[in-house]
Amino acid sequence: MAIRSTKLESRTKILIMMVCGCLVILLDSPTALLTCFLASLVLIAISKPTLRQIRLLFIFLIFTTWGLIYSQGMFYNAFPRTVLITLVPVEFPFIGEWTGGIRIYREGLFHGIIQSLRFNTTLVIGCYIVWSTQPRDLLLALGQLRVPGALAFMVTTALHFIPVIAGEAVAVIRSQRLRGFRYLQFNLFATVRGVINSFRPILAGNIRHATNLGESVESRGFSPDTATQRTSLRTSQMDKWDYCLIALLSFCLICIIGLKVLYFCYANGIYYGSWLRGVYTFTREVL
Amino acid sequence: MVPIQIENLSYTYPSREIPTLHGINAEVSPSDFVLLTGPTGCGKTTLLRAMNGLIPHASSGTLTGSVRINDENVAFQPLAVTCQQVALLFQNPDDQLFCTLVEDEIAFGLENLCFPPEKIKERITLALEQVGLTGFEDRRIAELSGGEKQRVALASICAMQPKVLLLDEPTSHLDPRATWDILNIVKQLNTEIGITVVLTTHRVKEVAPLCNLVWLMNDGEFCLNLPKTEAFQDTSIFRNLGVEVPDTDSPPSSVHPKPSINTTPHHPLLSVKDISFCYPNSDENAVKTISCEVSRGEIIAIMGANGSGKTTLLHLIGGLLQPSSGQIIIDGKTSKRKKLHQLAGKVGIVFQNPDLLLQAETVKSEVEFGPKNLKLKPDILQTVVVDTLAQFRLTNFAEEAPYSLSRGQRQRVAVAATFSLHPDIFLLDEPTTGQDAQHLQLMMDELCDQIRQENKTLIFATHNTELTLKYADRVFVLSEGELIFDGTPYAAFSNKELLENASLAF
Repeated sequence: MAIRSTKLESRTKILIMMVCGCLVILLDSPTALLTCFLASLVLIAISKPTLRQIRLLFIFLIFTTWGLIYSQGMFYNAFPRTVLITLVPVEFPFIGEWTGGIRIYREGLFHGIIQSLRFNTTLVIGCYIVWSTQPRDLLLALGQLRVPGALAFMVTTALHFIPVIAGEAVAVIRSQRLRGFRYLQFNLFATVRGVINSFRPILAGNIRHATNLGESVESRGFSPDTATQRTSLRTSQMDKWDYCLIALLSFCLICIIGLKVLYFCYANGIYYGSWLRGVYTFTREVL
Repeated sequence: MVPIQIENLSYTYPSREIPTLHGINAEVSPSDFVLLTGPTGCGKTTLLRAMNGLIPHASSGTLTGSVRINDENVAFQPLAVTCQQVALLFQNPDDQLFCTLVEDEIAFGLENLCFPPEKIKERITLALEQVGLTGFEDRRIAELSGGEKQRVALASICAMQPKVLLLDEPTSHLDPRATWDILNIVKQLNTEIGITVVLTTHRVKEVAPLCNLVWLMNDGEFCLNLPKTEAFQDTSIFRNLGVEVPDTDSPPSSVHPKPSINTTPHHPLLSVKDISFCYPNSDENAVKTISCEVSRGEIIAIMGANGSGKTTLLHLIGGLLQPSSGQIIIDGKTSKRKKLHQLAGKVGIVFQNPDLLLQAETVKSEVEFGPKNLKLKPDILQTVVVDTLAQFRLTNFAEEAPYSLSRGQRQRVAVAATFSLHPDIFLLDEPTTGQDAQHLQLMMDELCDQIRQENKTLIFATHNTELTLKYADRVFVLSEGELIFDGTPYAAFSNKELLENASLAF
């Protein structure tokens, strides 16, 4: 099973991403979102990521979770809201008076947890696709899913260049630091300008790489207009596991949409059925 | 039938007023091997792109005249048809390979042309045999050496069985052994299968023995279109354009030893002590327990095959990478716990791709960037910038955007921007890539003059033996991450076994 799972067909992976993208928008309960997030972790775990990839993903997850919870906790402006900590009291000179006080709200933290689970689930599935799919398989899969050739090639090329861009970004940042530039300094204006300037060589490099690759594939007969008509050395067939997984996810998605629609009708006074009370409770509590 | 006929070809890129190609006329017979050379920016690559139909199919701009391949005007036939007759190999293999596995890469073009899978298999086997990579079908491209990658790229176009092969500086990123391999394969394709070859290069000496026709370009025009036997009878035109000429400069074996230098300095500026380094996701060390000492005023070349650890060693010395074990001592202080900005003024580096350093809006602000970060007083800063621009002959370009300059000029800007901090140790990674002889010599002369005047140290990584012989006092030869030689260039190039072991023999 584990070996089979690492070799999900590329179309299945794309469909998983699409379904999960819909699910994290539809679901509101932390329990359901946590289940989605844990399922995405299981998916990436069975694709056997390297230690470096795990470390990178962990860093991403920590930063996004911390950033979202903290920012939502502080800037939550819906009501009701309960103050947990007051960081800057309203009486505090200048900043307190100007901002009306800075506080962390319990409901904001809760909202931040939900947002971070949504974001992290899509992040993990995105990493799963990038790390476990070869560019040509992705191009083939997008073609089979009737995605326009130009768009499919752009997506594939963007993924293909992620490691190159990351490597060049590191080189640019290090070379700037070796020329005495400090990214963390009191002069915020200089920091921002330095960061903006560092994008220039990275962007120029991207354009150059993309142009060269584009010309190389065009010189070998690739055309976005005929991308879906290509033959393929490797045949890529979905097997029963792919179909089962897609069927299961689609079933879950359809059920959740149905339940949410029923609950929406009830909550807005459009339709109420006493025989559906269990459904309303389940949707409110679990979804 | 004439395979290639170029008639009055002119081309102007969009947003430019001056044509990059102007009135080109040429004919190539079957099985010709054409050497196309000229200074950087003369239009060589543009001509190749026009010959395989990328211009006008994948470029806007104004094209007049025609390129006919087997009597068909490439401007009027689809690229998918032209690519089966004319194939183009690009300079950098990393920029042109799209797939992860060798077999997939070679199949890519054939799949685009809708070949059936069994025919694709057949062609893959044949193409791999032609480039000497039989059995490499399932290898991951990322794990191949630079030379092997370029051979995969060559196989991927050979699989389409073109009649004409266009090669755009195919060896500029390769070490001498890999260069020889690629050129040998191209020559075999030319003589045994009868493929017409047009190859652009700055390394004329290496290609001249293989060709039978020479095209010399300058400012978008042909200066010379002659059989090889006549082309090199008068080499003054090549010299005037700063283009390398075959068999006129002294070959390595006849170079006389330079005055002796002290290779075991008493007060080293740089001490490298037993350093090793392993990249993440790699099982093997890229640099293996290297130790050496470098004193002030020395100019050192680091040589070795692709993947031998030259760039890694430069990055370790520059503090861009931290050694897994061992230590680097600069001017008596270990660089281990130092932050990169604390090394500014001590160490400076220019990458193989100088564009990665160019981040400012003008050449002047690029040169100013480093000294400004060191918080120099305005009057001193002004003097440093003006002097540096003058030293590297960039005063006239001070207000130009770095990216609007030619490749050679951009490299000089990167060198000047790094030199403006007057680092004790100046690191330069493969300065020859994409450079013509004139720009390279100009840049190296200026840099070495400044280095000697200020008693600084220059360490450069290169495959180019002539560059080493001309400028280096001492050479480190690396092989598979180990330092296998530390001595004078004369001693290194007199040692044939060493050159063989380090893949430096051509």
